[in-house]
Amino acid sequence: MPTYLVRRVVLALVTTAAAVALTFALVHLAPGEPFVAGAEERFVPPETVARLRERFGLDRPLGAQFVRYVANVARGDLGESFTRRRPVAAVLGEALPNTLLLGGVALLLSFALGLGLGIAQATRSGSWADAALSTLALALASVPAFWLGLMLLLVFGEWLHWLPVAGMTDVVAGPAPGLAHRVLDVARHLVLPALTLALVNAAAVARFHRAAMLEALGADFVRAARARGLGEARILLAHAFRAALAPAITLAGLSVPALLTGAVLVESVFGWPGMGRVAYEAIFARDYNVITGVAVVTGVLVALGNLLADLGVAAADPRVRRG
Amino acid sequence: MTPSPLTPHASRLTRLILFAILLAACAPTDSRQASDRPSGGTLVIVSSGDADVLFPPSGAVTTSADISGLVFSRLADLTADLNTVDDAGFRPALAWSWEHADSLTLIFHLDPRARWHDGVPVRAADVAFTYDVYLDTLVGSRFRPNLAAIDSVTARDSLTAVFHFARWYPEQLYDATYHTRILPKHLLDSIPRERLASSAFARAPVGSGPFRFVRWDTGTLIEVAADTGYFLGRAKLDRVVWRIVPDLGAGVSALLAGEGDAIEIIPPRELRDRVRTAPDLRLVPYASNAVAYITFNLKNRDHREPHPIFGDRDVRRAIAMGVDRATVVRSLFGDEGEVPVGPTARAQWIWSDSVRQLAYDTAAAGRLLEASGWTDANGDGIREKRGRPLRFTLLLPTTSRARQDAAVLIQAQLRAVGVDMRLLPLEFTLFEQRSLRKDFDATFQARTLDASPVGILQLFASEGVRESNYGQYESAAFDSLVHRATRAPTRAAARPLWRQALETLNDDAAALFVFSPPFQAAVHRRFENVSIRPDEWLATVTEWSVPPRARLPRDR
Amino acid sequence: MSPLRRAWARFRSHRLAVAGAAIVAALALAALLAPLLAPADPLAQPDPVALQNRPPSAEHPLGTDRFSRDVASRLLYGARVSLGIGVAAALLAVLIGAGIGLAAGLGTPAVDQMLMRGVDVALALPRVFLILLALALWEDAPAGAVIGLIAVTGWFQTSRVVRALVLRLRESDFVQAARALGVGRWGLAQRHLLPHVAPAIIVSATLDVGNIILLESGLSYLGLGVRAPAPSWGNMILEGKDQLLSAPWVAVAPGLALLLTVAAFNLAGDGLQDALDPRRNR
Repeated sequence: MPTYLVRRVVLALVTTAAAVALTFALVHLAPGEPFVAGAEERFVPPETVARLRERFGLDRPLGAQFVRYVANVARGDLGESFTRRRPVAAVLGEALPNTLLLGGVALLLSFALGLGLGIAQATRSGSWADAALSTLALALASVPAFWLGLMLLLVFGEWLHWLPVAGMTDVVAGPAPGLAHRVLDVARHLVLPALTLALVNAAAVARFHRAAMLEALGADFVRAARARGLGEARILLAHAFRAALAPAITLAGLSVPALLTGAVLVESVFGWPGMGRVAYEAIFARDYNVITGVAVVTGVLVALGNLLADLGVAAADPRVRRG
Repeated sequence: MTPSPLTPHASRLTRLILFAILLAACAPTDSRQASDRPSGGTLVIVSSGDADVLFPPSGAVTTSADISGLVFSRLADLTADLNTVDDAGFRPALAWSWEHADSLTLIFHLDPRARWHDGVPVRAADVAFTYDVYLDTLVGSRFRPNLAAIDSVTARDSLTAVFHFARWYPEQLYDATYHTRILPKHLLDSIPRERLASSAFARAPVGSGPFRFVRWDTGTLIEVAADTGYFLGRAKLDRVVWRIVPDLGAGVSALLAGEGDAIEIIPPRELRDRVRTAPDLRLVPYASNAVAYITFNLKNRDHREPHPIFGDRDVRRAIAMGVDRATVVRSLFGDEGEVPVGPTARAQWIWSDSVRQLAYDTAAAGRLLEASGWTDANGDGIREKRGRPLRFTLLLPTTSRARQDAAVLIQAQLRAVGVDMRLLPLEFTLFEQRSLRKDFDATFQARTLDASPVGILQLFASEGVRESNYGQYESAAFDSLVHRATRAPTRAAARPLWRQALETLNDDAAALFVFSPPFQAAVHRRFENVSIRPDEWLATVTEWSVPPRARLPRDR
Repeated sequence: MSPLRRAWARFRSHRLAVAGAAIVAALALAALLAPLLAPADPLAQPDPVALQNRPPSAEHPLGTDRFSRDVASRLLYGARVSLGIGVAAALLAVLIGAGIGLAAGLGTPAVDQMLMRGVDVALALPRVFLILLALALWEDAPAGAVIGLIAVTGWFQTSRVVRALVLRLRESDFVQAARALGVGRWGLAQRHLLPHVAPAIIVSATLDVGNIILLESGLSYLGLGVRAPAPSWGNMILEGKDQLLSAPWVAVAPGLALLLTVAAFNLAGDGLQDALDPRRNR
């Protein structure tokens, strides 16, 4: 187990480093400079451009820049955002929790929906309910997330006016509202975007899980249990479910990148102030430091997700634990 | 207001009497509540972009400019007329009077009542300091070029600021007052100049304007509140809040759902139509100060030879005549946009509906092209000349929906006269860069115009070739006309000269002036006395008010 | 019955899978025959003022967009882009993956380890973020670049599957026999390994197409990938998203088309997987 752990942690570190290096290289080798234009139809005079380049060290060779960057990251300094004139760490520090909230809730929801769907299908295998659920799962797995978000927005936000249509909170003027009110406000705004992400991922979870469950149900040790006369429900819970749990946890960890990137599209549709939004704007504004900062954070998150998934697998399945 | 709980056995009459007494007792209490004050109300503005920095010399986005406009003041301000030439076009702000001591000297007398929001009085030293900051290369303000004619700004005494100019020209007062907002020396003097834009002040500014800064939740909202002690009279509203919703469609939906009160401008027609039919909202039109135009590069990439297509005046004229600008404008904006008469918009005083322009005439366009040697020999629908097809690439930014739509429409129109225009949408930074470097055939530019037309020199005069004259248009006739126009002593004298200059541009087809988008703000109906100055939509927000009977919960 | 005939029989018995395959074939045909089937030129703007945003009618079965272009025609031509990029990228990805998987499975342990560690790292990289970055920084990326980028970032799973298969087959009797007879590695790969690896590759590719189509539409929606005025389902949704209330058909039609196409590929892929996967011989 310890060697397994160590190997996975090393892999996580290597992955993060690779993501950062790749991003750094791409961003600096590409055409275009970060300072020439601000966010709108106005631009910065040339002498200011030269001075800003010098200040941010962009006139030094690429290798030197990378070394400098890595040294800074090790100290926790992710640099300064050109467009927002603030430390990147501060910008990401504000946006990341919003994305984590959205992604976390979506992950939980998608698992609840997906596992439920998978179990329902596996137990009703062959009946018309299974077929209907299968169709639903198929549709959800095939729909583009951003389009689903637009449709949900249309129905629930515009036609029915049940839920708010944008942002994370409502504007409140006057004395600051109490905690309960704020929590409720964010929750209301969270419903549609989280639901969109969750529905799309639930389908993948359900498909995966149905296959895993069926395979587990057909596996040798389950057949043996059946032969011993154990009831169907017990078999389900005790053996098949546990065996299918490991891949499900792995899927959870592996869902992290999908959720993070799905967040880019969904945050864009719903105006959710998260990291996907920040990354998108930074890419288009050539805000190098923010882009590489996002790569660092994303790389770490994905690596953590995988690590968690691997640990989950090891915990659930004794065969892996033994090495 | 709820009736007090009554015992179940009290008679109906008694209950009614008690209720009436209670009603009478409550009424005076009501009038002591906030909702009956003469001023009050909260304006929630839905904005699609967060502010970058609230430091006037450096803020580059409209949200920053809007907020700085309320928190900071100018020495003097334009009136709704936007007359930038005559002194009569200005009204007092931080300065209560001014005079021209001679042709190169302008003296301002500051209003002694003016205060910074921290209580310190505004002094002439602040004015001198402000100009020093705006002109400092370490600050790198984009307004520096506008202040080029100002030699020095000194404080003669605590309430008198003296401006010295390098030369005489009619818009001295405009340049001295419009581009800068006065900054507090006592708060900023000690900060190194290159750090001003990233200082704490830039995120929590202290100004002398009618509103004071309250808070900024990054990416979400910014709030300012009326300064009750403002020396020119406190604003009628209590608060102005900017709520940031990055996507315009979502922003309009928020507005319609009652989560906001106003949006400055709604470009897409579908969204405007939704606001138009909303019972609580009103569309307030105001003169547009934006113009979008396609600049032709008259020189080839190496900047020496004339461009193989656009170097020929007849070909440019033919292309201009092949585009049905009226249909483009109607398709994009319905009845509300306008075809520009030149690089100007209705908000500028040089606009006149009688400026001569090239007509939409595809037959004449075809003839001109044939005469210039561009014929479709191989029948593929595109003209050629000496083996080279009549094909060019138009750069446009991915950030502008209107320009992208217009480009698609124009592409189809030009195809019909045998011209193949390719579209290259670029993300904004790259678009600006290539335009600046003159690395293009044609580029679809847009400008938000200043109140003064003098900016046209940057765009089309020979001296602008190193600045914003990306197309490298150089015409002695045009240069002479605009120089005379900028030296005309009164607006009435300047007008005919500007008209001739615009006509010269149109005759030479220096650029294709495609559309001037309609400006309409959406404002909640409960706001009264709403007027909008075209160059700065919130310039008169101090007069907007919400009558007590119309107030919403968030107005309290 | 040969294993292939058995597989075909199994596939045929799966009615949904057959339906999926039929839909895929119909879509491919429609895309190929777009110039014949489309009621109008997808780029033609007959009257950008009077005919913009018209609802579905006899002349324009799916209505018009804000430039008065026929939505149905654009949908058909857009199918070419989505299907073309989807299939091409999937094939390319699978070929790369198979190649790497074969190399890892047949190579020395050192080569195997190096390749597979590389795959582990690559699998964990944020795929869409990197593609976004590359496309945004590349000034005018042609369709080939989009295909290449998607393929180059999506072959990892296939390589693992192929490698696992190859490792297993390496120890099997007939391979040992062939080795003993002196058959070289390349011959080994061709005659003995590929026939067994091919089904897995086909399944992988078919299931990938759906995801790739969704990915490409997402990129187009963000303004990258296929640019205006050429139609792609993703950029049609982008163009239609501001008119959801006034002209919903512009955004709804391509969304439904995407849904149908990806679902069809998923069904066909599932059917293929069930039919060809020997482990399902129960």
